[in-house]
Amino acid sequence: MIKGHQINYAHKKYHILHSVDISVQYGEFLAIVGPNGAGKSTLLSMLANELENKHPHSVLFKEKRFNQWNLKDLSKNKAKFSQHNTHDIPLMIKDVVMMGRYPYFNSTPNAVDEDAIENAMKETDVLHLKNREYNSLSGGEKQRVHLARVIAQLKNDVKHKLMFLDEPLNNLDVKHQYKALRLIKEFTANANTAIVVLHDLNLAAQFADNVLLMKNGKVAAHGNPHKVFNEKTISETYNFPCAICPNPITKNPMIIFGN
Amino acid sequence: MSNKLIIYLVLSSLLLIVLATVALFMGVYDFGGKSPLKVLVDIFSGNPEVSASEKFVIWDVRLARILMAILIGSILAVSGTAMQGMFKNPLATPDLIGITAGATLMAALTIVLGSFFRDYVPEIIQHSLLSIAAFIGALLTTLLVYKISTTQGKTNVVIMLLSGVALSALGFAVVGFLIYLSKDEQLRDLTFWNLGSLGGATWEKNGILLIVMLISYSVLIHKGKALNAMMLGEKDAEHLGIPVERIKKQIVVLVALMVGACVAFSGTIGFVGLIVPYILRLIFKSNYQIILPLSTVMGSILLLVADTVSRTIVAPSEIPIGVLTAFMGAPVFIAILIRFKNSM
Repeated sequence: MIKGHQINYAHKKYHILHSVDISVQYGEFLAIVGPNGAGKSTLLSMLANELENKHPHSVLFKEKRFNQWNLKDLSKNKAKFSQHNTHDIPLMIKDVVMMGRYPYFNSTPNAVDEDAIENAMKETDVLHLKNREYNSLSGGEKQRVHLARVIAQLKNDVKHKLMFLDEPLNNLDVKHQYKALRLIKEFTANANTAIVVLHDLNLAAQFADNVLLMKNGKVAAHGNPHKVFNEKTISETYNFPCAICPNPITKNPMIIFGN
Repeated sequence: MSNKLIIYLVLSSLLLIVLATVALFMGVYDFGGKSPLKVLVDIFSGNPEVSASEKFVIWDVRLARILMAILIGSILAVSGTAMQGMFKNPLATPDLIGITAGATLMAALTIVLGSFFRDYVPEIIQHSLLSIAAFIGALLTTLLVYKISTTQGKTNVVIMLLSGVALSALGFAVVGFLIYLSKDEQLRDLTFWNLGSLGGATWEKNGILLIVMLISYSVLIHKGKALNAMMLGEKDAEHLGIPVERIKKQIVVLVALMVGACVAFSGTIGFVGLIVPYILRLIFKSNYQIILPLSTVMGSILLLVADTVSRTIVAPSEIPIGVLTAFMGAPVFIAILIRFKNSM
């Protein structure tokens, strides 16, 4: 699906990413985790073609470099959810979600687009807000609006789509955290791919197919949750003691921090 | 285009036609009981009863001026809306961030320097030269302001407005110096530039304005979606398939072209690009898919009304139109500042 080979990124003199190799398969839910400043968001931005890449051949999306893609086709194949909290967008919710359909219509949305945003808003539980002004929403509600926008953007017949999500669970309450993760899981169940930066290791362990653990711009561990989440790796990476036991219900690793 | 938008466009165009007709009646010339509309119809039908002076007043004075108000109002409003979209801020209008000042500066230089070869050059080239100079001035200032105030796609509003203040001060100083240096005839031209007036309307100028308008609108009017998406941030707009860099370049060049043409023919008429989008935003929020097409007509309405008032209330003399638009614009400016006090 997407491959990154020896990705490096430096801002001014600071190296943020050091030769990161990454390869994500069709239908995979990859969680990127790690302590603050590990380069998680930067890696996601590099993979999503947001930052100037001095070696454009280092990232291949569906076997093609990003500059070989047509911008409009690309927007139907991949979408990104960024961290949005500060934005001032004086529009109604449904207008913001409709932006996800911009690649599909010229000046007037058609019935398919209306359906797509209606469904996406239902899925993230913001349908009742659709005529409210975006700026009047709480942080968590704004997150859900953007999630709906990204979902609406990838509602199409293209096979094997890719969704990048940068900390989608920020500000969400427990119910909506689970709801969001289930939506991502449903998305990957249809041979689509999701690359998600997460903070909560237990949620990553429960939902992700694979986990990429980062520290200081390097990959500290990569593999399925059982492999990555072991006491030694986690406590060394986070520089904080932890204990790991099987989750009594799901049998996935459960991480408990503290002595 | 959505049905709603078409309805608004049709309604506001009808209003504009009514206002234009009213404006045709306004003026001191005595047609001996005939209605100006009748004179206009006679001109079109080639009726030999129309005297040369009647034809001049209706065709070359009033109608040319009404059309110029419509063209310039529309162009100024659209350039304001497009700039605001690009800078993602309702205060980013060409006059507030110094683009108009840059155009005025270059136009003033052209007038003073151009006087050396004025007699040898045909009028149409003189007008074009003036527009080109104003265009270059506008383009350079836009690029300068953008470079100063924007880092990584984010615009610092305070820096943007302050660089506008600095550039306007520079323009003011240069024009003041030129006024000090200039001869009588240039002096009249320069004063006219500083205050703004549609008194110099001719069909030739209207022709050039119309061409500028058609070129710019054919590219800009469809950019509503792109400007909406850019509110998410430029990276996110690109994820939605919007070629952000290309659109920004188009906006910069076309706004400079439009502002340049307006400044060359009517001087600095401020605040139109601030007032019109502000009013539209009150009703339609910041949905550029609606406010960008609608500002074409609303700008015309605003400037036509302002111009008609400016030449009627103290007839047979007239108030500079820039004074009137400033009277309307300054409160809007303050209103926006108060509203954005917390977010700036």
